[in-house]
Amino acid sequence: MKITELIEKTGWKVLAGDPAASPDAEGVYCGDLLSWVMGNGEPGQVWITVQVHLNVVAVAMLREFSCLVIADGAEPAPQMLEKAAEEGLTVLASDLPVYETAIMLREAGI
Amino acid sequence: MFYDLHMHSCLSPCAEDEMTPNNICGMALVKGLQLIAVTDHNSVKQLPAVAKVAAGMGLKMLYGCELETSEEVHVLGLFAELDDAMSMQNWIDSVMPVIPNDVDYFGKQEIMDENDCLTGTEPRLLIVSLEASLEETIDAIHSHGGRAVLAHVLDRVNSVTQQLGFIPPGLDYDGLEVKNLEQKSRVLETHSWITEDSTEWFIDSDAHRLGDISEPENYMRDSVFRRLWGDSL
Repeated sequence: MKITELIEKTGWKVLAGDPAASPDAEGVYCGDLLSWVMGNGEPGQVWITVQVHLNVVAVAMLREFSCLVIADGAEPAPQMLEKAAEEGLTVLASDLPVYETAIMLREAGI
Repeated sequence: MFYDLHMHSCLSPCAEDEMTPNNICGMALVKGLQLIAVTDHNSVKQLPAVAKVAAGMGLKMLYGCELETSEEVHVLGLFAELDDAMSMQNWIDSVMPVIPNDVDYFGKQEIMDENDCLTGTEPRLLIVSLEASLEETIDAIHSHGGRAVLAHVLDRVNSVTQQLGFIPPGLDYDGLEVKNLEQKSRVLETHSWITEDSTEWFIDSDAHRLGDISEPENYMRDSVFRRLWGDSL
């Protein structure tokens, strides 16, 4: 699924990046422990997390995730969003907790 | 001098009751250490008593605490001056969520005087993550005159590598703590931006029981101490 289509369906806010240029979403990964995500994430997944440290961007690029969804209203620092923009990583914001956010992705058809 | 800069007193709920100011200093002396730091979780309240006991025994001391950041990373703050360390408590109080300690589940959080007599207990649970990021925590340690050491960096729990995947490039820490030289090699192999000389390396016990305090195996040159903490010894 195109990330632009995903945004239309969910109404999530774009915090950084260009959704039209993002790789298509294929599956979902949830996790906040970055060492774990580095070891287990798969390319093309939409990554849902509440972790907002700058290292999140590096992990997302390493795993070649489609885009990042910051859930539960967690507030990323400006440096993280700047880095994401620089790397071309799309960052979306969901006010709902991780579980409900994941359900929305399922209902959107991912 | 032989050192051990990471150990917990009976103020930390997870430490044994035997970790009293006199027992800690006495054991450090028996083991042949010259420099110690007591680093309780998110608190400096045991330090005045330990400072008096250490001074009485002729043991050198840095005044410490082990802070848990919002990312659940453990960072040691190590101060040359007791007053500087004590001034951290206000900052800690401003960012610590107030959760009552369940003594039966987590353990006692006891504050003692220099005679190992109980003077108080900490009612708030100390093993919690502060509402301050890793960067903010390091800044707070620096602004209070201390040095920041990332604790047990390869541990599977509460280490920077576990929580954040790797040690962030450009992070303003003063030292890295490992468990042994093999871990140091592993850190160097996996972090191209860190070199042997780009930071200071520490090997500490993280003792929660008396017997676990380090043997005289880890040596710090006076020049390293002075560079980090000045001429306070």
